[in-house]
Formats: sequence, structure tokens, C-alpha cells
Amino acid sequence: MRRALKQRAGRRQLIALETDLLAELRALRHRVPHLAGGLVASVDGLLIAHDTHGTEPTGLAALTAAALGLAQRLADNTGQGDFRESLVRGEHGYVATYAAGSACVLTVLAHPDVNVGRLHLEARRSAERIGVLLEDSLGPKEVG
Amino acid sequence: MTDVDGTLKAAMTTIEGAIGAALVDYNSGMALGILDGAGGLDLNVAAAGNTDVVRAKMRTMDMLGLKDGIEDILITLSTQYHMIRPLGGRTGKGLFLYLALDRGRANLAMARHQLTKIEADLEI
Repeated sequence: MRRALKQRAGRRQLIALETDLLAELRALRHRVPHLAGGLVASVDGLLIAHDTHGTEPTGLAALTAAALGLAQRLADNTGQGDFRESLVRGEHGYVATYAAGSACVLTVLAHPDVNVGRLHLEARRSAERIGVLLEDSLGPKEVG
Repeated sequence: MTDVDGTLKAAMTTIEGAIGAALVDYNSGMALGILDGAGGLDLNVAAAGNTDVVRAKMRTMDMLGLKDGIEDILITLSTQYHMIRPLGGRTGKGLFLYLALDRGRANLAMARHQLTKIEADLEI
């Protein structure tokens, strides 16, 4: 009985967390013009929350994890420390990934017209808040 | 001819009242160079924010059907002047100089005149 209650409380907490993460993703999209969408994923590629339109989010979360592994090794091997962010510019826009706490990342898609300076500014703050949200509700060890 | 750092240094030292200068790419909103004075401004934030100002003005001119260029944009605060000067010339395309001035010490006409000269010397 107690375990069932605990599980239910845990589920409620997860739903609340997803609502908070979605609110943060939407706020980011609101603050930075020309953003196409964003998602939060764990470093091993599991999708946690997304606000993407027209992009398949689970695939993007998995790809993010693969790119993250490489970026982390690149940063490590050149003595740059922990991964902070990466920016990929394609012909039709940008894909940016920011560390959100120690076990999750924030990935955003942006149109080519985006103001990258502003994207960095706002997304870094968002990633920081997302990291706090995740660690508050899941605990640093349980994330991912 | 002066490089980016030299240009920012020249702006900060020769223009009376200068408290911060940046050279910004308004296609990306990122600064190519910043030089912080006593202003305590976060110039990377200023670069991103003023990129939106420049883009908005260019869009407005486009909507008005004005086939003209922006020489400079002046924003007057109660204690500061902020000047934005999109660069002309072949190498300066897509860039602007941003200069923050202490209103109490700066001479606006002189600052504009000197910034024009500094811009002409800039080679990227």
C-alpha cells in the first residue's frame, strides 16, 4: 500500500516536472525569435520533454546523445573540461545543445535568421534552470 | 589601417566618455571583439540585444520602401549615450560598431565625428 502510494506520488512528481520543463521550453521559444523547437534529454539519449514541431523528438534525443559523447571526448582530450555546449550550423538552420545539470542536455533547433548571441544568452539560462528543476525533483543520482 | 582590437582601443581612448565598445556581427548577434571600460556593461549581452535593434530598423526601412543605408543609430538614456554604427565598405558588411558613452563626459558631435574616422581606418 505504502509502495503504491509512493509510486503514485512519484508519477505525480514526474508529470509536474514535465509541465515545468515544457513551460521552460515554451518560454525559451517565446524569448528567442526564429526558434523552431527544443527538447530536454538525458545524456544517454532518453527523451524527457519536448516542444518540437515537425521533427521526430525521440530520434533527435538519441542523436543528441551520440553527438554529446563525441563533443565530451573532444573537450576532454583537448583539456577543455566538462561539456558546456555545442552549435551545429546547417544550410537551413542551427542545432544547439547545452548541458543542463550533470546528466541532462537541452537541445534547440533554430532557423538560419536566429540571433545566435541571443540564443546562447537565453538558452544558457534556460539550461541552468532546467538543470535545477531536474536535480530538485529527481535528485542528482537518479537523473538519466 | 587598424585591426579589430586596435579599433576598439582607439574608440575607448580617443573618444571622451567612452565606457564600452564592441564590434558585432548582426547576422549572428555575436561580438567579433569587445572592450570593457568602466561601464560595467555586459557587452556580449549588448551585442545580442542591439543586433535586434539594427535588424528591426532595417526591416522597418524595407517595409517603408526606403532604399537607403543606416549611418548610425543613437539611443539616449538618462545617463548614457549608446551609438550603433553599421559598417560600410566591402569588409565591413554585416557588422556594426557599438559604443556606450557616459552622457556627463561625452560630446555627442565629437564622438560621432571620431567614430566615423575610426570606422574608416578599420580593416577586417
